[in-house]
This record gives sequence, structure tokens and C-alpha cells, in this order.
Amino acid sequence: MSSCCEPPPFKPPAAPPATALKTVLLIGPPNSGKSTLFNRLTGLRQKVANYPGVTVEQRMGLMAGVGREDLTLIDLPGIYSLTPYSEDARVAVDVLRGKMPGTPKPDAVLLVLDALHLTRQLMLAAPVLEVGLPTLVLLNMSDLMDSRGGHIDTLKLARELGAPVAQISATHGTGLDAVPLFLHQQTNRAAAKPLALPVVGNAASAHSWAAQVSRRTGYQAPLSVENSRKIDNILLHRIWGPLLFLLVVVGVFEVVFSIGQPLSDGFGDILARAADLIRPLLPAGWIQSLLLDGAWKGISSVLVFLPQILLLFLFIGILEDTGYLARAALIADRVMRTIGLNGKAFIPLLSAYACAVPAIMATRTIENRRDRLATILVTPFMTCSARLPVYMLLIAAFIPNIAFLHGFLGLRTIVMLSLYLAGFVGAMTTAWLLKSSILKSSETPFILELPQYRMPTLWSLSLRLIDRARIFLRQAGTIILCVTLALWVLAHLPVIQAPGGAISAPELADSLIGRLGHFIEPAIAPLGFNWKIGIGLLSSVLAREVMVSTMGTLYGADPGTQALSLQTALHHDMTLGGALALMIFFAFAMQCTSTMAVVRRETNSWMWPAVQFLYMLVLAYGAAFVVNHVTIAIIG
Amino acid sequence: MGERRATRLQIAVCNSDRIGRILKSDHSGRSFGFSFRVLPFRQPQGVRRVSVLSELKVGDSGVLITLDLPESVQNHLMHMGFVPNALVTALRRAPAGDPTVYGVDGMEIALRHETAEAIRVRPATAEDAQASNPQASEDQTHRESAAAELLEAAR
Repeated sequence: MSSCCEPPPFKPPAAPPATALKTVLLIGPPNSGKSTLFNRLTGLRQKVANYPGVTVEQRMGLMAGVGREDLTLIDLPGIYSLTPYSEDARVAVDVLRGKMPGTPKPDAVLLVLDALHLTRQLMLAAPVLEVGLPTLVLLNMSDLMDSRGGHIDTLKLARELGAPVAQISATHGTGLDAVPLFLHQQTNRAAAKPLALPVVGNAASAHSWAAQVSRRTGYQAPLSVENSRKIDNILLHRIWGPLLFLLVVVGVFEVVFSIGQPLSDGFGDILARAADLIRPLLPAGWIQSLLLDGAWKGISSVLVFLPQILLLFLFIGILEDTGYLARAALIADRVMRTIGLNGKAFIPLLSAYACAVPAIMATRTIENRRDRLATILVTPFMTCSARLPVYMLLIAAFIPNIAFLHGFLGLRTIVMLSLYLAGFVGAMTTAWLLKSSILKSSETPFILELPQYRMPTLWSLSLRLIDRARIFLRQAGTIILCVTLALWVLAHLPVIQAPGGAISAPELADSLIGRLGHFIEPAIAPLGFNWKIGIGLLSSVLAREVMVSTMGTLYGADPGTQALSLQTALHHDMTLGGALALMIFFAFAMQCTSTMAVVRRETNSWMWPAVQFLYMLVLAYGAAFVVNHVTIAIIG
Repeated sequence: MGERRATRLQIAVCNSDRIGRILKSDHSGRSFGFSFRVLPFRQPQGVRRVSVLSELKVGDSGVLITLDLPESVQNHLMHMGFVPNALVTALRRAPAGDPTVYGVDGMEIALRHETAEAIRVRPATAEDAQASNPQASEDQTHRESAAAELLEAAR
């Protein structure tokens, strides 16, 4: 989905007040709850998930959550130490040291530590405090600390560290008063000279220092909960583990299709009725035609898929927030190793089922440069949610609804799953080809932290969905609106002047867009596509879902198909072979300008997105050609 | 001629990574030989056999001695809790048999066989378990009952 997933452009406050304090930094080890706290403090949307390495670049927001709109809060990727091991950690360290171009130098630091594993987490405290910025140490997860019988003397810890310490729970929002209090003090008072901490050179001495501090402050680690291990006994079981993994994946898509479809149909009815309500209000003529048959029909043909896309994001959100993704990476490591990558590359690939853009940014957690590049290059093969509208439309139009296994599995679900599988196999094969040729490298060790299982909160899930809906609507309001308007205009030019002087639109085939379609038709005819589909393919280079709105606008402009629903109208232009070929074309082709832009940014060259685009185009064309001809041969 | 030799020398000196690795392998090689020669005399029963992390059976614990890994990997692992004298427990193997999940410092970290093979451990004794987590072993039952009381009070 294009431009999806990019955070909205951040605008700094118009007139910053004349205080020394402007920028506050959130820093801490991976999975210590920084992003949850960031949401609490800013009220801004931010991706939070329960596996290490989710925040892949720094995000900014105004601290509106604690009434300090004048302050900018920066959320950073988690780090274990100030000697970074991977790309995302390098970003964090650079920002902390004020060496990141384009990011303001921090004036104060909020150091978030997981109170449940304080001894290890304290290893980060010394080097961060040593940077010399005013720092507030926040011991997160104090709610779990209390309920499990852990203990820490915060006053003693504050004295040991020479920095204020507060216990908070970011999930429940308790103890957060300490943050505005600390910031207020920093605004109105010159920072006290930081305490001289012992210089900790290497990891071993840092650990012994942290162990001493935690002993002197009476730290009692809470009882570890065996729940996570009990759950893992099943989810990582030799037989049940992989089976359950498959079941989860199949189940998610079955639900998206069986529950999501009626929801989408209902939503589509509402949108169509809205158009009927507005129709009498507009003067008949070209304005009405442009707005309703052009723009509205195009946009609403994409908007109807919003319920299904949100359902998919809900499920992926639950998988991420519970901590299951890290287990999936563990299960997948063996498979990934045979293609020359490791289990860590599997996490971005899984989240690419939602959208390739954040997935490509998430590859920053992969330490090996060549592994990372290979993962970036194959990520667009994973079936992202922007392909869903195209698949849904074609499947609903061409695949009969036959149930197997007492209605548990439908033929439509099977076709859908095969398309997902095709994308996955495309990704794996390409990765194997890359890793055994141009991107061959020695293996970097696979080191993966398994977080404890957590119950996803309703709050973080709904933030995620609201965010997603907003991006989807913004997309519909910008790119899709522009494309549909342009298409409508092109479909109605050149105007024909009848002998009586009346001006009318040309036949669709004679319009500008029709001529363009006919021009490219010879190239795509072997795939079973006609010129209308060709126009759809051209416009979908911007973003895949534009295909659906394009078809909506084209059929809306054609008097012969105007009254028909999109599904019925498609039967005028396509055979089953063409429909299957079109789906497989979408499974392999890289039609997404924002993915190309993010690949360009992450690889720092135009060569890789260009290579990727051409490779995927050739593959898509070949596969569609084969599918079309095989189907014709079978059906006759 | 002389100039060329000088640059070559410089390259060799600058490549600190290579030097570090050579030193490390030399060191580990020596200690390996040492263990071979001495063990048969001192430990006929093989109680205190020096071994590597990957040899731990699931459920067994070991005390970490050294990490024979490149500097950056070693540093990263140490910050995740794999420091000398840390108690490491093999918790479970992934469904495919590799990687293995190790428990260290209350966290669970998965490592592949070849990484775990480069981490030297000795079998843990009861004292090791106590020393690594004094509070936990001091009065585990007391704390468990305290937690139960807390839970009841919450209800």
C-alpha cells in the first residue's frame, strides 16, 4: 500500500518557549516498554509490539499526554549497550550523542528499564548517565513487580545512580506524574552536576557494577512466571508448534475472508446508498458524472475493503503484541537457514503480510549487511494487504463458493491461501538464489531474545487500527482520488461535437485512455488481459489497490456496464484464465511506489529498486502467461 | 621496494580484527590442550569436565567460563547476560532441534548450535545456583507464600 506506514510529517511547535529544555529522549533496552510509554506521554500513534526491535527508527511527538506540548519526545530503538551491534541500535546511539543529522540534540533523557530484570538492564544505566544529560530513570512494569513479590529501594538506587528514579507502569499509566515533575524541575533549574559513576569499560565490568548496585539497593527480582514457559511447552512443541503455526496462519485468512466479506459487502451497500442520497442534490450533467460515477465510484470500490484490511491488521497486531512473532522466528530459523538467512529475517517477512514499507524498515535489526539486503529484496513478494482488494474482487467474481471439510475450508479460501503461498515461495526462492550467488556471506550468529508472553491491550490494538484506517482513508483521499479523477477526464476526452451542437463524451474505446489501452493491448493479450485491464495495470504501478478503483471508474464511464456491480462487469472482460493470470501477476509484480522509495532509502541506491522492479515484472509476466495458457488448456 | 613493504606492514598492523582473532584462537587452543593433558589425572570420574554450552542437555545448567567469539558478538552476548560466572540453563530446543533457548538472568535467548559451541561452560553445582541468585534461593517458599498473600489481599 503506498505511502502507508510512513509516519505523518512531524511539525515542531510554531514558537518554542524560551527554555533550555526542548527535546527529551526515550532510551532503554529492547522490549522494556519505551514505545508504550511514548504513546502514553504523547497520545500520538506509534507502532508498539512485543518483540525486540520494533522501533526501527526514531519517532517524534509532542508530550501532550502530560501537558507539555512545548516539548518534543523522541522514541528510539532499544539498545543493549552504547557499542551498537545492528543498524537500528546505531541510530539510537547517534541520537543520544546528538550526532544524528536532522535530529535535534537531546536536552534530557528518560531511561526506561524493565524492573523485572533490573540487574541486567542496569548495565545500560552507567554509559547512558555518563553522557551527562539530565536523566530520569523509570523502572517500568512496577505493577508486575508488585504482584510477583519483587522489591527495590528506589531512593537508594537514585543515590547510587545520582539521578532521580521513579517506578511506573506504562501499560496502566501509573506513576507517570514523575515525568512532568522531573521536566518541570529541569526547565526551572540549572541541571545539577551528574554524579561521577565508575567508568565501565567492558561488558564484564559493567555487569559486575550492575550486580553490585542491585545488591546494595536491596533489589529482589520478582518470581519469574512460569506461564510463558508453559505456553511455550505447547507453542514450541516439536510437533504441535509448527502445526499450530500453520493453523494460526490458515485461521487468520479464513476469518478475514468469512467474517470480513459480509462486513465489506455491508459497508459497500452503505457507500452506494450514500451516493444515491447525494445524486439528487447535484445538478445533472458532467459535474454529477465526474463526482459520482468517476470519483465516488472509484474511491468506494477500494474503501469497501477497509473492514477486511483492518481485520488482517488486528490479527497481525495480536500476534506481534503477544510476543508470538519471536517464537515464529525461532520455529522458522531452520527453514530460513536452508536458504541462507536466519530466523530474524522471518519477522520482517511476516509483518510484510500487512505492508512491505514498515517491514523493510524492520530489516534494520538484521546484523549482517548482505542478509539484510537479501531480505529487503524479497520482502515485496510477501502478500501485503494492498493486494487483498484485488484478490478479493477477482475471487468473489470468478471462483465459485464451494465448501470442503464441512464448511471449515472454502474453495475461495484455498485459492487465497495458494496466492499467499505463491508469494512466499517467490520470496524464499529469490532469497536462496541471492544468498547462493551475489549476496553470499559468512554467517552472523543468530541471537534472539524471546520476550515473555503478554496480553495485548485493547488500547494498543485500537490505536493500531485507528492509525491504519487513517492511513487508508488518507490514501483514498489523495492518490486514489487523483488517479480516478484523471482517469475520468481521460475517459471523456476528446469530446465529440454532434451535428446539432451538443457536446458528448466519446465511446470509452475511442477516448484517450481507451487509445492508450489499445496501444499496450498486444503486450498483455498473451496473458488473457484486454485493454481495460491494461489500463488498470498501468495505474496500479502507483499502488496495487488503485487497480480496483481504476476498474470501478472505467466501468462507471462505460454506459454498457455502468449499472452493473464491479464483479459482474468484470465477466465482460475476462475469462477464468485471465482472472487467475491477473491474480498471479499481482502476487509477483512490484507495483508500489512507496516500497520502491523505501528500498531506495534503505539501500542508498536506485539500482536495487530498479533491479527488484524488473526482476519481479519479468517473473510476474512469465507466471501469468503460464497460468493463463494452462487454464485454457484444461478448461478448453 | 622498501615503500611497498612498509605499506604491507601497515595493512597487517591496521587489521586489528585479524590480530585479535589470531590471539584469541591461540589462547583458546592452548587452554584446550591444557584440559586434555591434565584432566585424566585430576578428574578420573569426569565430574568437572570443561565443556561447551551446546553440549548441555535440556534442563541442565552450566556456569559460563569464556566466549570464544568475535569481539562484537562477544560484547553483544555479554550485554544480554552471557558474562563469565553467569548461570546458563538450556530451556528447550526449537521444534527443528536447533536453535536452543537458553535461560540467563531471567531472560530467554535463542542461540544456534554453532554459537553455543563457542561458549565454554562448566557443569553447575548446587552452590553455583545459589550464588547466582542469592535472594531466590534464600527463602523461595517464604516469598511464594508472600506473593500468594498479596494475591489474596488483592481479591
